[in-house]
Amino acid sequence: MACHDCKNNEGQALAVMIARVDAIIDRVGTSRRFIIPLLQALQDEFGYLPSDALHRVYERTEIDRAQMISVSTFYSQFRHIPYGRHIIKVCTGTACHVKGANNVYDAFRRELNIAEDSVTTGDQKYSIEKIACLGCCALAPVVQIDEKIYGHVQPGRVSEVLDEFEAFSQEQAQEEKKNSTRQAAGEIRLGMENCCQASGTAGIYQAVNEACDELGINVNIKPVSCVGACNQVPLIDVALPDGSIVRYPNVRPEEIKEILLHHFRPASRLRRLKNALLNHIDMFHTDTTWDNILWKSEQERTGAINTFLAGQKRISTEGYGLISPLDIDEYVTRGGFEALRKAVASMGRREVIDMVLQSGLRGRGGGGFPTGRKWKLVAASDRPEKYVICNGDEGDPGAFMDRILLESYPLRVIEGMLIAGYAVGANKGIFYIRAEYPQAVIRVRKAIELCRERNLVGEHIAGSDFSFEISIFEGAGAFVCGEETALLASIEGERGFPRQRPPYPAVEGLFGCPTLINNVETLSQISYIITHGAEEYRRIGTENSKGTKVFALAGKVRHGGLIEVPMGTTLNQIVEEIGGGMEGGERLKAVQTGGPSGGCIPAELCDTEVDFDALTKMGAIMGSGGMVVLGESNCMVDVARYFLSFTCNESCGKCTFCRVGIRRMLDILDKLCAGKAEIADIDKLEELALSVREMALCGLGKTAPNPVLATLKYFREEYEEHVRGFCRAGTCKDMVKLVITDDCVGCTKCAKVCSSDAIPYTPYEKHSIDVAKCVLCGLCMEECQYDAIRKVSLKSEGYGNND
Amino acid sequence: MVITINDKEIEVLEGETLIEVARRAGFEIPSMCYAKGAKHKSSCMVCVVRDSVSGRMFPSCSTYPTDGMRIETDSEEVRRLRILSLELLLSDHRADCEAPCSVVCPKGLDVERVLYLYDAARPAEARALLASVFPLPEVGCDTCKAPCEKACRRGTVDRAVEIRAIIKELAAKEDLLVEVPLESKVDKASFISRLGRFTPTEKEWLKETITTPSRCLHCACSGRSDCKLRRHATGVGIKRPRYEASSLLPVKERIHVRGRMWFEPAKCIRCGLCVYNSEDGFTFRNRGFGMRVVIPEESRVNVNEELAGLCPTGALYLTD
Repeated sequence: MACHDCKNNEGQALAVMIARVDAIIDRVGTSRRFIIPLLQALQDEFGYLPSDALHRVYERTEIDRAQMISVSTFYSQFRHIPYGRHIIKVCTGTACHVKGANNVYDAFRRELNIAEDSVTTGDQKYSIEKIACLGCCALAPVVQIDEKIYGHVQPGRVSEVLDEFEAFSQEQAQEEKKNSTRQAAGEIRLGMENCCQASGTAGIYQAVNEACDELGINVNIKPVSCVGACNQVPLIDVALPDGSIVRYPNVRPEEIKEILLHHFRPASRLRRLKNALLNHIDMFHTDTTWDNILWKSEQERTGAINTFLAGQKRISTEGYGLISPLDIDEYVTRGGFEALRKAVASMGRREVIDMVLQSGLRGRGGGGFPTGRKWKLVAASDRPEKYVICNGDEGDPGAFMDRILLESYPLRVIEGMLIAGYAVGANKGIFYIRAEYPQAVIRVRKAIELCRERNLVGEHIAGSDFSFEISIFEGAGAFVCGEETALLASIEGERGFPRQRPPYPAVEGLFGCPTLINNVETLSQISYIITHGAEEYRRIGTENSKGTKVFALAGKVRHGGLIEVPMGTTLNQIVEEIGGGMEGGERLKAVQTGGPSGGCIPAELCDTEVDFDALTKMGAIMGSGGMVVLGESNCMVDVARYFLSFTCNESCGKCTFCRVGIRRMLDILDKLCAGKAEIADIDKLEELALSVREMALCGLGKTAPNPVLATLKYFREEYEEHVRGFCRAGTCKDMVKLVITDDCVGCTKCAKVCSSDAIPYTPYEKHSIDVAKCVLCGLCMEECQYDAIRKVSLKSEGYGNND
Repeated sequence: MVITINDKEIEVLEGETLIEVARRAGFEIPSMCYAKGAKHKSSCMVCVVRDSVSGRMFPSCSTYPTDGMRIETDSEEVRRLRILSLELLLSDHRADCEAPCSVVCPKGLDVERVLYLYDAARPAEARALLASVFPLPEVGCDTCKAPCEKACRRGTVDRAVEIRAIIKELAAKEDLLVEVPLESKVDKASFISRLGRFTPTEKEWLKETITTPSRCLHCACSGRSDCKLRRHATGVGIKRPRYEASSLLPVKERIHVRGRMWFEPAKCIRCGLCVYNSEDGFTFRNRGFGMRVVIPEESRVNVNEELAGLCPTGALYLTD
């Protein structure tokens, strides 16, 4: 009988599931091309792709098994097994990698006791995964638990982060915040992008809210676009009624009340008195407020940021830190959509294209193809159906420009797309945004709605006869889809296999129609060109690279963040003047640009002016704009291996040289890093790298060997050292060990913190490390107050950099 | 339109790709992932050619000629890259062309074939094969040091197949008369792909799975030992590929597709011909180096036997 019930329950559960699946299919559609949105919706609903749900999909849609397997296993977003209730995503982007993300990942696994062959804890509470890049590179290493992002997570902070998350999720389960409208006496602006939230802006937001309630102060709390000074967050700007702005970097929640009181009057005299009294008491009784930013001089307070912001030129990020991403009125007041109106009202399509052509704008996605020429190609076709696609599939680990542009300046990108659509004669636009950027999707969707309300999207835009519809397609996690033809394949519901060009998408693109594909940043430069004219735009930049370029500055630099500089700025200027120099007094070793498709430029060449051609000449590429600063403690062989293992994972697998060739290169690099390679292997690696560059079929494969070739060109001696079993940076774990020096006083801290029981507990005596057990996580080095733990080379050639 | 291939001027016909133009003009270009008349997407890069005008290399099977092209199909650079592409494919092709036991037999006996017939309960044919090298019932095994048993891959799993004992057992069955001796020669002149080492897990798996009477793993390619991969590797003069396999392809896994059709994933070079030319049949799983060709149970009825003819390796084949 019980069994019968059991079956009944199962039957019911299945019926419920099928009803849920049916509802999703009805909403999304039954055509083969909807497979990706359909799977995304199913995963949103169930947390993974249950096989019963997939069976229902076979029954009710055109999607068959072959397509389902092909697509659902190609994109890394899709999961076929249930995960734990909370998902820990450890960012392994370049910036995080050079700051030890792998150790963080290992530390989480150890802390949560996750079995070796699993990614989920025994109680199904947490699942852990590595993720290509969260785009918060300035706060590396970064970890995301569900929607909450944590910055600067060192292995030693892992348990703290987990505790904090537990507390946070309990809190969240409690009451909703009340949202009363207030008469504004001023404005508090704070960034609410991923990276700001990672640093705790959400806490600040809450603190401001609470303090306002308590003090009865009426201010607007306005989430604004990213200032780009990601290293100084949480950062708030207080805008006073007289228009002046006072900026507070690195604020803490407990300082908010004080800042508010400093600028605004509380509601009633009585309350003010009461509050002042309480506040006074607070001041004397909490020592945390004494070393407070308010007491620091203006210069000291904002000096670092002002240097960071000087030397930059804003086109794509115009209005940084001032405009609210979704305040369309504000955008219009600041000249927004003027370019669009000008184009559709007074300029011919040809005229717009000529202007873009003359401006010298080149595609910002990596290749640097002249944008105007692309437009011209698409415009040349007289097919009625054409598409404009904004490529926001920013997949470079170490790059987050597109994310910030989409999150902070969605209206400008939309305007750029509309102008492009008008110029090439297209009537449909698609934003292709990668899955890892949910915030960007939300903002862009909202921004499109706002534009529609103003008749800026839809039929007869701004009273003209130009009509244009915009939709959003969410990428499903495949780096290769940044490649134009792979991107098209994924929108069409296929694996992200690039196809051979020609025909170029401009001639035969999405569903066979002529398609213009432009990068986010490219589109965000358009309105400036149209408003100010090609001549004005040409003034900025170098001979063959005009305008500005947005970079994501990260790595071993003091002030990382999003920067926008005129083309032709030197790397040294960027590192020294904008980035504030190297972190921790390290010497600059190289600057990595262009992510996994780019290369490392050694310190001695960093006085070269940055533009498309100069970078290519040095063996790097502009790429989409990731810029990771490397210091003496970074091993160049390891950096090359890191990028190659990334491209190896992200290769689509179609052509031999990319699928097998990169794997074989990685084999050799693994051998090198393990100290098992021979000198001949280096030559073999080089030959293979050159061949892959020549023979791979798409941009991903052709550029994948660049990190290897560039490091071989400039740092070959490091490769040779690895053959001899020596890693000068002390990064390659098979070549170094940790030892405890005579400075040890026997405080036992290292023994307590050791994650692998490699340090016996010997109070008041010099400690020692069991090399066989040590996993080189470095926790003990962090913990030791006597600087008594050193990383030394196993071979006698010299000591690691930490000496 | 006229283009030049290896200094010969050739008129291009409508819709022809470079490989078709070149082959029509009598130039041999090896290819794997291309089959005339079948749907294909360039992937193997074995058919690479160079345009000396632009200096670019491209797959001739899907590139259309443009005016003024000067194509080299066999220059030094083209040959180097063609060899490399084959070597890379071979490094991810975990299979033996010929069984090691057959290769080393001093008498030139196709040992694996004997064991195959023995396992298939066809002892008469097995004897006929023995009769081609031995004056039955005499066999030369008593004086032989049995390199076959030393070379036996089963020996790396647990212990080698007792080849000599099986041969003697067969030789002793004098009631099974041999009318005509069966010829089966191992091709030692061609390139011979080697499977490499088994991992500990594979050894366990093999020990449990392969339980034929002889215990033989049947290393010899049961597909076609004259597959395109072997033929081209021989053609360009590869003796031993320079790249070791690091793949964990499911070695020795045999999937029964339907009827006489079998699929061995470890031999597949992922050209995709079977994928593109079947409707809801073969498909790709995963991406990058880990990409595999698979066929779901339910989809096996959707493929037909002709598909096996497209496979450039012995991965997809029909049994006799």
